[in-house]
Amino acid sequence: MPLIKGFLETSFIDWPGKLCAILFVGGCNFRCPFCHNHPLVLAPEGMETIAFAEILSRLAARKNWLAGVCISGGEPTLSPGLPTMIARLKAEGWAVKLDTNGTRPEVLSQLLADNLLDMVAMDVKTVLEQEKYAHCAGGAVDLGAIRESIDLLRDSGVPHEFRMTIVPSLHTEEDIVAWAQQFDRSSSRLTLQNFNPRTTLDVRYENEVVFGPEIFSRLSGLVA
Amino acid sequence: MGVVMPLNAETAQARTHQVVNEDSTDIALFVRSSQDDMLGWNRQRIVDALLRETFVDRDTAEKISKDIELTIQAGKVKTITGPLIREMVNAKLLEMGLEEARRMHTRLGVPLYDVDQLLVQHNKENANVPHGPEATNLTLAEGIKKEYALLHVFSPDVADAHLSGDLHLHDLGFIDRPYCSGQSLEYIKKFGLNLPHALSMAKPAKHAEVLLAHMVKFAASLQSHFAGAIGWDAINLFYAPYLEELDDNGVKQLAQMMIYEFSQQAVARGGQAIFSDVNIYWEVPKHFEDVPAIGPGGEYTGKTYREYEKQAQRFAWALFEVYKEGDAAGRPFFFPKPLVHITEKFFKTDGHMDFLHHICEVASVKGNTYFVFDRGDTAKISECCRLSFKLEASDLKDAKKPWKMRYSALQNVTINLPRLAFKAQGDDTRLFALLTEKIQLAAKAHGQKKKFIERLMSLGKGGPLSLLAMDLDGEPYLKLHKCSYLIGMVGLNELIRVHLGQELHDSDESIKFGLKVIAHMNIVCNKLAESMGMKFVLEQTPAESTAFRFAKLDLAHFNAEAEKVVQGNREKGEVYYSNSTLFNVGATMSPIARVEKEGLFHPLIEAGSITHIWLGEAQPDKEALATFVINVFKYTQNDQIAFSPEFTACLACGKTSRGLSETCPYCESRNVDGITRITGYFTKISSWNKGKLGELHDRYRNSDRFNN
Repeated sequence: MPLIKGFLETSFIDWPGKLCAILFVGGCNFRCPFCHNHPLVLAPEGMETIAFAEILSRLAARKNWLAGVCISGGEPTLSPGLPTMIARLKAEGWAVKLDTNGTRPEVLSQLLADNLLDMVAMDVKTVLEQEKYAHCAGGAVDLGAIRESIDLLRDSGVPHEFRMTIVPSLHTEEDIVAWAQQFDRSSSRLTLQNFNPRTTLDVRYENEVVFGPEIFSRLSGLVA
Repeated sequence: MGVVMPLNAETAQARTHQVVNEDSTDIALFVRSSQDDMLGWNRQRIVDALLRETFVDRDTAEKISKDIELTIQAGKVKTITGPLIREMVNAKLLEMGLEEARRMHTRLGVPLYDVDQLLVQHNKENANVPHGPEATNLTLAEGIKKEYALLHVFSPDVADAHLSGDLHLHDLGFIDRPYCSGQSLEYIKKFGLNLPHALSMAKPAKHAEVLLAHMVKFAASLQSHFAGAIGWDAINLFYAPYLEELDDNGVKQLAQMMIYEFSQQAVARGGQAIFSDVNIYWEVPKHFEDVPAIGPGGEYTGKTYREYEKQAQRFAWALFEVYKEGDAAGRPFFFPKPLVHITEKFFKTDGHMDFLHHICEVASVKGNTYFVFDRGDTAKISECCRLSFKLEASDLKDAKKPWKMRYSALQNVTINLPRLAFKAQGDDTRLFALLTEKIQLAAKAHGQKKKFIERLMSLGKGGPLSLLAMDLDGEPYLKLHKCSYLIGMVGLNELIRVHLGQELHDSDESIKFGLKVIAHMNIVCNKLAESMGMKFVLEQTPAESTAFRFAKLDLAHFNAEAEKVVQGNREKGEVYYSNSTLFNVGATMSPIARVEKEGLFHPLIEAGSITHIWLGEAQPDKEALATFVINVFKYTQNDQIAFSPEFTACLACGKTSRGLSETCPYCESRNVDGITRITGYFTKISSWNKGKLGELHDRYRNSDRFNN
């Protein structure tokens, strides 16, 4: 089973239109310098693991309230036990949303084929250009895999969104426009997230100026 | 001579004048009197005051006056003030062991230094009072009325209990007013604006805008006769008969005017905005369905309110559009607070999901919406931070004549629960005995306030409470016999922590014990209600400053025990007890667990309760919020919830952003102020007292993802 390092019983923000619980799986193959969940990425072994059985029983007590469970990370698709975990949640009647960076299309493809996902949010860090992507993800990235995941979702018929956390030193306005053009907007929801400098994987980013609210809202308009 | 102005001040003065020249000595001394002139020294004035104000005999009074005269002569001063002479007389009375006479002869007032501080510095007891000449007037007047109340309205045991922090008598500075008032717009629709002592009288309004003007003025008059909240029942429904002449823009304009009028009334009493609440229904409440509607000119329209559902809904929708936009700087409106009633009928009324999403969007974007849950056949009107009045059979009969529906709580007394646990030392029996004792004392305080207000009301329309005595519908506006008397609590969580070693969120056992405590309070209230013929009801005190005051006093007087349980930051002095029956605001509890568990206490607290969900900067999905609200109605006993976002208002660029930040995200200025709910209402954080600042820091905002 994937190691669950965090659990929020009620989230009003992680699943559009739904009240959901969210679990965080430790470990990640990216090192995005602006990441604010970095303990989960760098040192998950130092964090307490919550037993899946405990999560299931806490969830069961909230059956009336919650519309689903969101699995986030870290990068959940790295854990070999992910399909089993999701299957277990589905068996208990939960709708499941997956947050992924799209680096494991084979896992995603199997989960989609097995009808285990009700919603997917995929972080696409920038335009699919090696240098830019490596900058945002903190290392070389197999862009073919990313492209494959994007296509899988496009063709899946499963509700999904592509999202990008934008940082002034990493993303120009042209990048944002070009980013949005990579997707089929009729079937995919696109969202931008403003980066939060409070605590970042690369401490230098804590001094980074964020896009002001007006600019952010204008940029969001570009991808809507 | 300084004169404590008794209610019969005029006659007292008349008597003073009669005796002025009878027995003057000729010391060349001038007395600066409290009546704005310089009088020649006259020993007789001391005698007169003592005979008038106290029970000392004439010979003693004469002796005291002669002693004082000697002292003054020996000092060779040229001018002496009335208050100083009074203090000298008081010292003499004390010296002679005449303590009761000394009490009766007290002068109420404020030291020069304090006035100077007050005029310059901001008083933070109530975050709804800005700083300014009106506010300092209010504080000075309140100061004197408070002293008066503690000396003259309440018995020494009650006053001592307040001063020592066993109890808190709320709004002592407003001793000559009832606590709060909830009413129906029908009163001014039917009778126009016809207030005692007003310079002019207005007939019932013919147009919606005029009705709004009447409502605002009436609310301001009520504010000057009540200490706290002014609430309005089913406001959108009662406006409905006036809206037929308006198109959608007109309705929106009216909604905008109403909200701006109430949020900008900071020109009224003490520079304080009227603490106003508007109750809103999507449906036509059952008890108003067959009531004949009053329309323009105060005339019956020939229809019943059932037929005004659509107009009422238009207005409700428009009000929330205005709330969603916020003020000119995008900040949330602080007043009037919109309370939407979620009832069985709500869910059977067309368009309810759209409306629910609409008000949830407001809750997400600006936070204004209060969701009030009236399950089963309960009908109630809510006001103040969390106070609500359940409508009883006789009220539902009044509902046929809605102008008769008005409710008031006369006073609020809050009990310091943690202190009881310090004293009980782990012994249940002792704890409950102490609790009973304090409730009895609170009831006694209520009896004393009631007697005092009765005395003022008995002076009728010529008296100080003429507005409350007006009887346009055959009954005085203030229906004294129907008033509630509130008994509140602070720090149930800390009581449990002292008594059981655990907090409320730690175990089911501590919740169970907490319920036992509140149930006991309820039972004692009911018994006392029966024996005293007064309606004592439990309320979740908003305790904006009381939660701080009790914690501070306990740290001073029960330091060893209090140190272990007081919340907040002791080094900074930002200490507090948890409000009422609320769980630790910092406990990592999911919003579901919080509404469920805090809600267990709500059915026991008749005058109303609330659970706050602090949101910080996260902007929730409106549909997720709507699901949550529906589930609270269906699966919990929770009475009322509100979601509280946080904002940063920039004083440099005037823009408002989400979340609390030290610099403005728009212009990077550090000249910013935070905005969020302090207790039951939104306000600027710079005006908060230290206790609430401590609480703000501790609040769990549903964002800590790795520690639960």
